[in-house]
Amino acid sequence: MNAEGTNNPAWSNEEIKKLVSDENGILDARIYNDQALYELELERVFARSWILLGHESHIPNTGDFLNTYIGEDPVILVRQKDASLRVFLNQCRHRGMKLSRDDAGNAKAFVCSYHGWAHDISGKLVDVPFEKQGHCNRLDKSEWSPLQARVDTYRGLIFANWDKEAPSLDEYLSDSKPYIDIMFNRSAAGTEAIGGIQKWVVPANWKFAAEQFCSDMYHAGTMSHLSGIAAGLPDGVELKDVDIPTNGNQFRAKWGGHGTGYYIDEPGLLSAIMGPVITEYVTDSPQARIASERLGSEMFGQRVLAQHMTIFPTCSFLPGINTIRTWHPRGPNEIEVWAFIVVDADAPDHIKEEFRKQNIRTFSAGGVFEQDDGENWVEIQKVFKGNKARKTKLNLQMGLGDSRTDHPDFPGRIGGVYNEDAARGLYQHWLRMMTEPSWDTLKP
Amino acid sequence: MASHIDIDSIVSNPAADIALQHEVEQFYYREALLLDNIKYEDWFALLDDDIHYYMPIRRNAMQRQGRARSSDLAEYTNQHEFAHFDEDKAAMAGRLKKLLSDFSWSENPASRTRHTVSNVMISKGEEENTLNVCSSFIVYRNRLETQVDLFAGERHDVLRRADNKLGFKIASRVILIDQSTILSNNISIFF
Repeated sequence: MNAEGTNNPAWSNEEIKKLVSDENGILDARIYNDQALYELELERVFARSWILLGHESHIPNTGDFLNTYIGEDPVILVRQKDASLRVFLNQCRHRGMKLSRDDAGNAKAFVCSYHGWAHDISGKLVDVPFEKQGHCNRLDKSEWSPLQARVDTYRGLIFANWDKEAPSLDEYLSDSKPYIDIMFNRSAAGTEAIGGIQKWVVPANWKFAAEQFCSDMYHAGTMSHLSGIAAGLPDGVELKDVDIPTNGNQFRAKWGGHGTGYYIDEPGLLSAIMGPVITEYVTDSPQARIASERLGSEMFGQRVLAQHMTIFPTCSFLPGINTIRTWHPRGPNEIEVWAFIVVDADAPDHIKEEFRKQNIRTFSAGGVFEQDDGENWVEIQKVFKGNKARKTKLNLQMGLGDSRTDHPDFPGRIGGVYNEDAARGLYQHWLRMMTEPSWDTLKP
Repeated sequence: MASHIDIDSIVSNPAADIALQHEVEQFYYREALLLDNIKYEDWFALLDDDIHYYMPIRRNAMQRQGRARSSDLAEYTNQHEFAHFDEDKAAMAGRLKKLLSDFSWSENPASRTRHTVSNVMISKGEEENTLNVCSSFIVYRNRLETQVDLFAGERHDVLRRADNKLGFKIASRVILIDQSTILSNNISIFF
């Protein structure tokens, strides 16, 4: 493949278009395992989409920084003197060395450890050792700063995008915002991150993770998480006594590949994951009633439960559980999960502590729910080594044709909770990103 | 603070007497044998009622004047932050229930593990009948057909004298794992 991945790719657009059928609900497994497609994804999806990097509260003060990634590109996210945010490639323009190597901290400058090229916190090259002697005033430093990304926030979440032509974050989120707000706009105080980002490696394609959080309530109550549910049952209650909810919906964004699903009024799964204290906080507390007022209905504030959501491509979160993570791709066969926990900034301390503990217990590398997600994705990825298995046509037909846009309580395209319409939306948007070079056709 | 064990005081204190050293090491070997043979309930019985089973997240932090690790713990998340494990007895009981459910896919089929414990250093605990024990571990995990994981780290335990066959229960275990990014698809085993 050529370096740009665009002029003479291993895959023509016509070939790529055959890999996903939104209309018939069929996927070609090669979208998960083909190296050449992955190289195109880095160029066409990850270098053009808004990627979640962190939360405003991770870097509250001038010079606070977080080392993270856009796709496989290491970037530094830094708080500026005027409180704005900058994101730039963590790479010196001299020989390509990293400018910063600790996970996070506070910096007055970023100095390359190779030859000492120094950058201010905005990412501007400001000092080159022996510049006078070595370059004799021939070096124009303004030409040699690391590449800057666009950066924008939505309700405390920080996203970045390399593409100057891409729509604004606000446009990009499309009609999914009311569903994001269920987690991030419950209180006037907003949310804050609990300290610490948990990182772990899952040898599986990023789309499994993104799709599951986008569209897959199905796995939770059928097979994958039965033992996780068992782990949270009170003494004397058996798995067979548990009623898995069936009442709920799924939402597919009209643009952008975002999606979410949730139960309505049935707290069973949420309670099995988070326990009674958080379930009451989310459904029946003074804070929950404030959330209903802010979000415009009790439905959005208190009755939507055990929600899962993905903002395309790799930002996923679980409102009410309050884990949020980016699935950083590491080749077609591997993800690095970067997960953190958010809480309402004005939640009582014991509630914040309960969110912290229950997330560690359930949705983390060692969590009694998340352990088993990794198991499924990894095994699937291994099966794809097979010559036949890697190009199997996979079924994505649940709920095909059932969604509608006239639901009395929920705006947008809505179907049943056990559904793959949001997944079809995610793959359809992936297909468009992969095959449409211009925002003129791609834009919302 | 990630751990109640002070490295400086361990280093400056004399070694435990040989009988106690032997007893504690044999406790660890037998505990490892239970874990490696997936005798979950027997291992669980070694956790005292006030067990705190804790593994903070390890971060890449710049050293300042040689400090980042044991001296000021900047490498570790603190007790108000995210962790890999931060479990009490009830949460551990839930984990046991998961393992015994037949649906615990991450451990069914079960991982093959080998817990190796060494560098055991014992000092007096704060309570009368307790010991503070610092040790190193290497845990090899082989899973399904070809998965291999290797975990290494330090354990800081509080062992409490108990009227059981092994002579101790674990009152507290702080696991300082030597990975910042966990290089495995999950941590479904115990350390």
